[in-house]
Amino acid sequence: MSIALKAEGVNKYFYTPDKFQALNNVSFEVKEGEFVSVIGKSGCGKSTMLYILSTMDTDYVGSLTLKGQHVTGCSQNELAAFRNRHLGFVFQFHYLLPDFSCLKNVMIPALRLGKLPRKEIEQNAYEKLQKLGVAEQALKPASRISGGQQQRVAIARALINEPSIIMGDEPTGNLDSRNTAVVFDIFRQLAEEYNKTIITVTHDIDFASKSDRIIEMMDGKILNQQ
Amino acid sequence: MAIGINTEIALTYMTSRRKQTIVSALGVTFGISMYIFMNSLIAGTNEWSEQVMLSSTPHIRLYNENKLCDTRMLDKYAGAGRINLISNPQLLSSGNSIANPDAIIKQLQQQPEIVAMSKQVSTSVIYANGNVQENGTVLGVNIDEQDKMFDIASTMVSGTIEELAANPNGVIIGSGLSEKLNLGKGDYMTLTTANGAQKRLEIAGVFRTTIKGVDNARSYVNIPVVQQLLHKDRSYITDIYINIKDHNKTADVSARINAHTGYTTETWQSSNEQSLAGKKIRDIIANAVVITILIVAGFGIYNILNMVIYEKIKEIAILKATGFQGKHVISIFIRQALYIGVLGALAGLLAGWAISYFVSSMYLGLGNVEYLPIAFHTRHYLQGAFFGVITAFFAGYIPAVRASKVDPVQIIRG
Repeated sequence: MSIALKAEGVNKYFYTPDKFQALNNVSFEVKEGEFVSVIGKSGCGKSTMLYILSTMDTDYVGSLTLKGQHVTGCSQNELAAFRNRHLGFVFQFHYLLPDFSCLKNVMIPALRLGKLPRKEIEQNAYEKLQKLGVAEQALKPASRISGGQQQRVAIARALINEPSIIMGDEPTGNLDSRNTAVVFDIFRQLAEEYNKTIITVTHDIDFASKSDRIIEMMDGKILNQQ
Repeated sequence: MAIGINTEIALTYMTSRRKQTIVSALGVTFGISMYIFMNSLIAGTNEWSEQVMLSSTPHIRLYNENKLCDTRMLDKYAGAGRINLISNPQLLSSGNSIANPDAIIKQLQQQPEIVAMSKQVSTSVIYANGNVQENGTVLGVNIDEQDKMFDIASTMVSGTIEELAANPNGVIIGSGLSEKLNLGKGDYMTLTTANGAQKRLEIAGVFRTTIKGVDNARSYVNIPVVQQLLHKDRSYITDIYINIKDHNKTADVSARINAHTGYTTETWQSSNEQSLAGKKIRDIIANAVVITILIVAGFGIYNILNMVIYEKIKEIAILKATGFQGKHVISIFIRQALYIGVLGALAGLLAGWAISYFVSSMYLGLGNVEYLPIAFHTRHYLQGAFFGVITAFFAGYIPAVRASKVDPVQIIRG
């Protein structure tokens, strides 16, 4: 199996209020189709690491390769285009655009990519919503559906451009156990059936223990990876 | 794809905050309607005052000025090799007349810009009816030529210009003079000049220009009457009035006529300089007001977009996280500003026209102004729309750039 993500010697410092090393020489690899959970106590640097992996945070030392492409040192615009094409995000909060319908929310990244005609994008978005069981909410405004449904719409949005890597920052942190199970099953299915690479940061030990692999962090270092 | 995703997001943001959008568009509407109204009013006023000026002033006046003596004749007489100087040079009386005016008119007729010419001979006189006397100026003219320039026929309240042309001892007087001396059509009055010459003339008509200075003092007679009053011969002409096609281009035509004939030319602009200064000042006042209004409208858009961006900072972060680049974010918010600008501009054009239209039917009734003078020029509407949209663009640009610099990591992590 080929490598989806490779981090080498990543160091990250915060300078405000005081100089503080958030990540200390972090190196690891994730294979394609792997479902990885990153756990650790609050402040251990796991979210910091995820945002570096997501290419949104470029202020770090070290080297990062995603999908065989060396992304360290790329310009913000190149990285934005790369995220649009290859990465999907699910956050703790859904962060849907409340002025748009659920369907439109899912469509926006694909419309930005502009590879497919609008009709096809709409079709794809609808299929994604259907797969996640929220198709009947498609035309409702994103602010008018329940938290669990919102998170599923957010996952549909993350999937619309068929990214090979999906990152989650506590995707179930705001959900009850029933919805957590639903989200987990979706991730599991994405990894097994569609060969997507999934990296989630989580506090939920249950959730983590059911994933393929756990990376435990402490004080900016990787404590152990199974 | 019918419309781009940036456009779609911009439109959605606008329609989901309908009230804010309308308020900021109203700012532009107000600015542009004021722009149009002010410009229409100022242009109308300028055109009106120009029309008043041109109703008694020709585009170009040709006359013979007394000149300071020079050494030309002396040089000719004494020959080369000498330098002649005149200490204390004196003014030479030219007799104030134009020699051989008909030949000059014939020459000038070949100039294509000239549309009308009228010979004049004028003098100040005392009008008298019995013991009552009034000062004034009598103009000896060919009344048909004069009518072509100043449209005297339309100002006649009694009698016609043809009656003056037919009566060698006729006179047309102003309405003010007619009241002061209690004279009407068919009555007789006496004209006396400074040198004592007198003439008794029959009133062939009364005109009213509504310009007090003209109505109270001026009268028109046939040319020979004034020549007789001045004891001059039949070729004595003091001025030639010239109208040209475009009254704004007097400068080069007058220079050409001056070079051609050797006589002094005076344009209507130079004889009405204070009025033109008034026009300039009005323009400056109007522009100052309009620019202020547009700037205020611009700040309105700026403010509201800033607020929108502050409210939507999380959404902007998410858009950037899912692959929107800085330029896309700028495009979204500039579009929003431009749509607000265009919306406001369209409403502003309509409102500006409506305000101008209603004000133009406001009765004033002072002097010769019946209704407020308002000009309707397409140019003002085009300029108004252009400035409105430009203001909106710049007002949107600053917040848009700020939005494009949002760091998604900072916002999403809190």
